[in-house]
Amino acid sequence: MSSAWVLGQRALREAVRTPEALLPTLFIPIFFLVVNTGQAAKIFPSDSTSFLEGQGYGAFQLPTSLLLAASFGTAALFLVEDIEGGYFDKLRATPIARTSIVLGRLIAEGVKGLLIAAVLVLLALPFGVEIASGPLGFVLLVVLTALWSVVFVGFMQLIALGTRSAAATNSGGLVFFPLLFLTPNFVPRDLLTRPMEIAATFNPVTYLMEALRSLILEDFDWGAILPGFGVVAVLGALMLVLNVRMIRQYD
Amino acid sequence: MQAEALVKHYGGRAGVVEAVRGVDLVVETGEVFGFLGPNGAGKSTTVRMLTTLLTITSGTARVAGVDVTREPDAARRRIGVALQEAGLDPRQTGRELLVLQGRLFGLATPEASSRAEELLELVELEDAADRHIKGYSGGMKRRLDLASALVHEPEVLFLDEPTTGLDPASRLTIWEELRRINQRGTTVFLTTQYLEEADQLCDLIAIIDDGRIVRRGTPAELKADLREREGLSADPTLDDVFLDATGRTRSRVAGDVQEVSA
Repeated sequence: MSSAWVLGQRALREAVRTPEALLPTLFIPIFFLVVNTGQAAKIFPSDSTSFLEGQGYGAFQLPTSLLLAASFGTAALFLVEDIEGGYFDKLRATPIARTSIVLGRLIAEGVKGLLIAAVLVLLALPFGVEIASGPLGFVLLVVLTALWSVVFVGFMQLIALGTRSAAATNSGGLVFFPLLFLTPNFVPRDLLTRPMEIAATFNPVTYLMEALRSLILEDFDWGAILPGFGVVAVLGALMLVLNVRMIRQYD
Repeated sequence: MQAEALVKHYGGRAGVVEAVRGVDLVVETGEVFGFLGPNGAGKSTTVRMLTTLLTITSGTARVAGVDVTREPDAARRRIGVALQEAGLDPRQTGRELLVLQGRLFGLATPEASSRAEELLELVELEDAADRHIKGYSGGMKRRLDLASALVHEPEVLFLDEPTTGLDPASRLTIWEELRRINQRGTTVFLTTQYLEEADQLCDLIAIIDDGRIVRRGTPAELKADLREREGLSADPTLDDVFLDATGRTRSRVAGDVQEVSA
């Protein structure tokens, strides 16, 4: 574990020293929040839209932006750079557990995810967004977003290790967009058309979005929150197992 | 270091590629061993198998007495590796990279910092130690890569074309460092395409072509052998030996000449 932490610190230094890669993870989600809210806020006024629980449409849209911010997977592109530049082999030639090489980047992604999610939520507060579940809800909101960023970068790392190509890894990351839009991201699930509702029900991102949304709009509704944590627990374990397997078989 | 009947096959869309076809090697402790061959002959593949970075299709390899397949971590503790591409993280400083490498080999932070300091002095990079590696010249990167391979004081140092692409002055600096490292007792396994480099540095040389060893011996032995066989009036250069060895292999593929083994 200490090797994983040492490599995690290195990955964090790498992120801090590449602000041009970090800034879009804040800017683009804010852009989507502003645009989506601007386009639909008049359709869903807060005083007559029950699913907003008395808040503005921006509060309803915030989970979409949080998930978008957590789904850039930049760390996997840095991994491709390591592979192409030979540093990955340098790490593989050390006597550390192969798991540490994978975990180092995942730990760093988790820390980055916490910070980015916290900044995004804090930026949303002055625009009338309230975290109805209070300070503990804020912590859960940030933690759940960060855990999703770990899951997603785990997925991207699989592509990076498999293809060793920045272009393929980057393209693979775009899979998130269909997943994001096959969710109740503009209206609650029960207001979707039947085919969309079925698609959203099978999409794991839906449960994350509903958990995050619940923490923002309502007091603790564990029936909505726990499935979100369940999704990151199951997918996180799967990604970890697959990443470790792939790095052990890396030739 | 000992390798017996080392084979590496790669599976690809075009079928199986036999990159290494039964290499036998013995390198004694403290030697500088030169592994020569044309591009694509199997040099880097052999090095990657010996350093645990590639699986071995068949055959065995022991480095510093440890079987690289059965005990890869034990082998990694005993070897230092500087591959063809200087494997460095451009966003770290030279010092950070060496400290990190020390930590990964189990040193505590103060110990790793002090070892980094020693190595920066050894490769004469003290002044650039706190600059980001992306600003280093090619020669500086090679020297730092060499230093990072030495962090844990390995018994065997593998260098895959350490001077490729360097200017003559940087090449001489690397040679001097290699001699110093070897004088401290480290066995050096060196691949190179520069025959003068092999002539200057190596106690023993093997030439690989098409995945097979085609010559083996000291530089003097290889030259004397060619002189005798060709009836030359003066000693040939190592270039002549190399061309003769790889030319024979091409003929052998055509079925004209027997394989040469030392």
